Amino acid sequence: MDRVTPVLLLEVASAGIVLVFAYVALRSRRAGAVVPSRARRLQVGLLVGLLGFAGLLLAFTFPRAPYPRRAERPDRVVFVVGKQFSFAVSERPITNDSEWQEAVAFGEPVTLAPGELVEFRVTSFDVNHGLSLYDPDHVLIGQVQAMPGYVNRLRFRFTKPGRYEVLCLEYCGHGHPRMRGYFFVK
Amino acid sequence: MLHGEASLAWPTPVLLERGEAVSEAEDVGFRRMTLVWVATVLALVVVLGTLGWLMRLTQGNWLTLRPEWFYSLMTLHGLGMFGTWYIATMAAVTYLLSRYVRPSLSASRFVYGLTLVAVSLFVIATLVGRFSPGWYFLYPLPFYSQGVWKPWATAVFFTFVGLLGVAWLIWEVSLLGAIARRWSLPQALGWDVLFGRRSVSDVPLAVHIATVMLVLHLSALLSAVVLLSLYTLEGIGTGIRNDPLLMKNLVFYFGHVTAEVTTNLSFMVVLELLPRLAGRPPFRVNRMFAAAFNVILVLIAVTYLHHLLMDFAQPFWLRVLGQTASYLIPIPAAVVTIFIVLTLIYGSRIRWTLPAVLLYLGVMGVAIDGIGAAFISSTPALQFLFHNTLVAVAHLHLGFVMGVVLINLGFVFQFVKELSRSEESSWTTWAIPVLLAIGGYGLVLMFSLAGVASVPRRYAIYPEELARGVTMARFAIVPLALLTAGALLYLWELVRRWPHAWAASRLSSSEAASS
Repeated sequence: MDRVTPVLLLEVASAGIVLVFAYVALRSRRAGAVVPSRARRLQVGLLVGLLGFAGLLLAFTFPRAPYPRRAERPDRVVFVVGKQFSFAVSERPITNDSEWQEAVAFGEPVTLAPGELVEFRVTSFDVNHGLSLYDPDHVLIGQVQAMPGYVNRLRFRFTKPGRYEVLCLEYCGHGHPRMRGYFFVK
Repeated sequence: MLHGEASLAWPTPVLLERGEAVSEAEDVGFRRMTLVWVATVLALVVVLGTLGWLMRLTQGNWLTLRPEWFYSLMTLHGLGMFGTWYIATMAAVTYLLSRYVRPSLSASRFVYGLTLVAVSLFVIATLVGRFSPGWYFLYPLPFYSQGVWKPWATAVFFTFVGLLGVAWLIWEVSLLGAIARRWSLPQALGWDVLFGRRSVSDVPLAVHIATVMLVLHLSALLSAVVLLSLYTLEGIGTGIRNDPLLMKNLVFYFGHVTAEVTTNLSFMVVLELLPRLAGRPPFRVNRMFAAAFNVILVLIAVTYLHHLLMDFAQPFWLRVLGQTASYLIPIPAAVVTIFIVLTLIYGSRIRWTLPAVLLYLGVMGVAIDGIGAAFISSTPALQFLFHNTLVAVAHLHLGFVMGVVLINLGFVFQFVKELSRSEESSWTTWAIPVLLAIGGYGLVLMFSLAGVASVPRRYAIYPEELARGVTMARFAIVPLALLTAGALLYLWELVRRWPHAWAASRLSSSEAASS
């Protein structure tokens, strides 16, 4: 999903709220009261309108949720394990601390092909971390939590070639800002 | 009247008349207790706000703080502000409820003492013990300090959480008990008008909202008790390992419900105070209000689930429930509470005093934050891009600073103004809200822009590839300075009235009226 449009829409809606409040504040200077029957009609209209809008928004956003779909089969599987304060990114499963150490220190960088559906199987060996995908222009394009004891599956199709950084997006201790992993798309 | 101010006819006090349920002595006691809470809260906010400055200066590379210190201050600032504004709102709620029912004054004093002890432990754990797992201390981080904090600091921190939980439980149960002595629980919850034949209840709206929210918050305290027990069982070496997903659900249930209850209780303050300031009759609980707040009660209990939208291991239906409830919850707030405030003000010829402006701006802040929270924080496709970026920090600061805080400041100023019998100077009536609004919204905008530009939250130091985070932190200093200027001006206006207010708080209502 485009990252700027939703925020702009939100700013427009916020500006609308400010205008309504400003209008009512200005109208407070002239004596009078809202006619109850008119207020009730307005209220019902607002209720129906907002319910309808919420329904439409749900219908629009549900299919765009970044959750894995059962019908899809990933082309590649990449294993990611977070541990204070590094991510091990590997094409082989990482099941214990020594495999994690080896993958972080000596592992071959993972290289993915543009267009293939990649499944990241993400977990942690200590605390909660957040796997994030930063593209070669350092723009955040996706994320999932890395939780000890659970495997979160994140599927993604990369289009832009280059080096991708994995930063931690769940605060995990004093080394949080320097926690890293990486892979390539070629 | 304060020296040098224009001579104006002093309007009828709207807060100081005594309720029928409390004696003259208790009335004086509640006034003094409210002033003590206010002084404590504002002192805490000055300290915690200074920590906010230190963090933004560090992120702007204008100050060097070691990450260990940064995160200790971050934990103190985040959890401190969160708890402080809950306490501030509860103090206002207690005072307003004492107009209708008879809360226990001794319980209020005991809670205050216990809170001071708890807060002292929190300060020791963070500043001496360097305990720094962030404001929601996500399991199992408190047990993985990497040598930064010692086990004793973890123990002191959880003692603080336990003591504060006990204090809040006593406070809430004592208020609910006072309400229950006058009305039955179903009546106070509005069920007699919702399911019975009566169309209007004799329960004041303030009492109804407080009951709904306090009952709901008891469930949050229960989740905190379970969380704390599970932490303790693991911490004392029983060999039990807790489930991280369960612990995450528990901590977010507690945190989210507390934030929502704080917001709704501050709305109670608005709906109690604003009609009096606007010269309109007070609200009574009718079917519309009862339906709205009962629906809000149910929805709040499940909206916390939107905090776990990026935990794909969380059952799918819970994620769907979280998104749906979060989309629905702004609707009763917009259609009932916010709409009612707007119709109340429309054509009211309200005198725009500082409290009235702050209360009104606070409602606007909650309205703006409400749609943002529903849309950005609850849509998985957007959380995929913005979760745990500075967009989340923008949301937290918008809801609190521009909502809960402004409403509380409005209440406090009205309270102190009435006690000190002093009018406002016209320039501060506008200068304070203008500075707070421009500064507050500017601060939130800078957080939002940085989040949209992919800058993560909780980074003590921005890495080279995210150097835009440094630039934006520097720009954010400008609105932060305006916000601080507005806050200092407000404090000055309050402090110079304080001696008169404190002295007058000793007088009974009849003595105060004749003085």
